[in-house]
Amino acid sequence: MATQQATPSRGEILKRLREQHAETFARTQALLKEQKRIEQVICSAIRETAKTVPQIAEEVGMPAPEVLWYVASFKKYGMLVEKGMCGDYPLYQKVEKK
Amino acid sequence: MKDLKVDALVVGGGIAGMQAALDLGDQGFQVALVEREPSIGGKMITLSKVFPTLDCCSCITTPKMSAVAHHPNIKLLTYCEVESIQENEKGFAVATVQKPRYVDEATCTGCRLCEYACPITVPSSFDRGLGSYRAIRVPFSTAVPQIAVLDMDNCILCGKCEKACPVDAVVLSQQPEPFTIHATAIILATGFELNELGAKKEYGAAKLPNVIDPLMMERFLSPTGPYGRVLRPGDGMEPTTIAYVQCAGSRDKTLGIEYCSRVCCMYAIKQAMLISGALPMAEITIYYMDIRTFGKGYEQFYQNAKAMGVEFVRGKVASIHEDEKHNPIVKMELTEEGRIIERTHDLVVLSLGMIPAVSSSGFGLVPASDGFISVPAPNASPTVTERPGIFVTGTAGGPMDIVDSIVTAGSAASEASAYIRSKTMIAESQSEVAYA
Ligand SMILES: Cc1cc2nc3c(=O)[nH]c(=O)nc-3n(C[C@H](O)[C@H](O)[C@H](O)COP(=O)(O)OP(=O)(O)OC[C@H]3O[C@@H](n4cnc5c(N)ncnc54)[C@H](O)[C@@H]3O)c2cc1C
Ligand code: SF4
Ligand code: SF4
Repeated sequence: MATQQATPSRGEILKRLREQHAETFARTQALLKEQKRIEQVICSAIRETAKTVPQIAEEVGMPAPEVLWYVASFKKYGMLVEKGMCGDYPLYQKVEKK
Repeated sequence: MKDLKVDALVVGGGIAGMQAALDLGDQGFQVALVEREPSIGGKMITLSKVFPTLDCCSCITTPKMSAVAHHPNIKLLTYCEVESIQENEKGFAVATVQKPRYVDEATCTGCRLCEYACPITVPSSFDRGLGSYRAIRVPFSTAVPQIAVLDMDNCILCGKCEKACPVDAVVLSQQPEPFTIHATAIILATGFELNELGAKKEYGAAKLPNVIDPLMMERFLSPTGPYGRVLRPGDGMEPTTIAYVQCAGSRDKTLGIEYCSRVCCMYAIKQAMLISGALPMAEITIYYMDIRTFGKGYEQFYQNAKAMGVEFVRGKVASIHEDEKHNPIVKMELTEEGRIIERTHDLVVLSLGMIPAVSSSGFGLVPASDGFISVPAPNASPTVTERPGIFVTGTAGGPMDIVDSIVTAGSAASEASAYIRSKTMIAESQSEVAYA
């Protein structure tokens, strides 16, 4: 088990870690922003109608492999479901939060 | 972490290392098993089903993982790196570092609430980058131990995981912790990696989205895989024509891999049969130079695949490129007919060669000419290295399948057992002489 240093307060630890990992922190902040934007565009594309990966890719202007990666991730975390097939392609639709 | 004293240290928790640890533990020896990943299981836990029986891989591997974790004589140390090995009169002093999980191992229950709370999604190495998990996660559903790990390189330090954890197990202040393992004998079970997808430039240089490696296909065929079904990663299409290119990086002087990787023919045949089950309309072609089915029941397995309609085409694949829809086009010479053909597929799997996962020199050993751990007398003592007290098992010693990994684990355990007993007897007789 790795050691636990003296921990004055939660906020202080987070602040110190952000300073220590300044470069990572800047990169991951930008990554989070981009992921939120992509989540928003993909989810709005499939809110009303189920679509295939190439259809989503065309609508949101992203490369299809990247769209598939996000779609697989949203499916894993319960944000969308498969809704049958269109030819050789599964269709995906957003699940609305209850 | 306190220093440890054990009879044997096993480095690597794949099937070979787990089996060696269990064999020694069952004989009453105290064993430490060090694994560098957050879970044991190695490559085998990522596979879908195993040739030649087509048994579910998880059903075989998970009980072994659990047996290791609960064995009274085995100390399981995951997420640890071996830094150096020093030899002394009592055996080996192995400098090891516990990497920070940023999660308290004793408190975490593996409930995953932190994972669901974490806002950052990253490519999952378990799914070879094609699936995803969060910056904090339990590595996979059957991981042993079921303990979360936080990946600081992808964390935004928002503290949401800390707040979500019901037992306050997230500890963002953890630091790496060095410790020493004192062991009489060492078994190296560090396994293999696949050669890089882009190693052979003529085969698309890893730039073609629908040319994949065989471990990716294992994940597609697994019910817990990234898509939950077989889809091609380029655009999520259910493929209807799938091709395998054999010896894509083995038996190839240009890549410096002149040996045969031994399992590629069999896993390609296995995957072809599994795809036939998952996608009954799919046409599957295996492009090969020779088919090597050396094990018990393996030739029958090959014949069964042919009878099921898998097409075997003999020839040499010269190059792979793609059309405007990213369908891979295989250009090959039919060696028996002396003709060049081109065929378009939806998905191509490169049967990549196996290479060593680590360099032998880190353990004070000179690598064999193929880069794997050298064994001076492979016929007489296939698991004994050139350094007394250090043994090797599984694919750390060279390409082999699961059956042979398990067989060599038994062999390495019994060599280690004899070595530990002889060392203990010498130590006892020396202390008796000193006492007299
Ligand atoms: C696509 C594919 C399909 C296959 N299908 C089959 C099949 O159906 N049937 C069959 O019999 N065989 C199959 N095989 C072969 C099988 O995967 C191997 O025989 C088996 O997994 C080898 O196990 P291992 O323990 O030697 O290595 P690994 O599974 O590679 O385990 C090595 C372990 O050591 C750890 N490690 C490495 N270095 C260190 C270090 N320095 N410190 C600590 N830990 C370390 C690694 O993290 C890993 O957990 C397949 C192989 C491939 C590529
Ligand atoms: S602190 Fe890091 S790991 Fe925890 S929730 Fe935030 S991003 Fe995820
Ligand atoms: S760290 Fe906490 S929330 Fe995460 S899996 Fe462990 S117990 Fe659950």
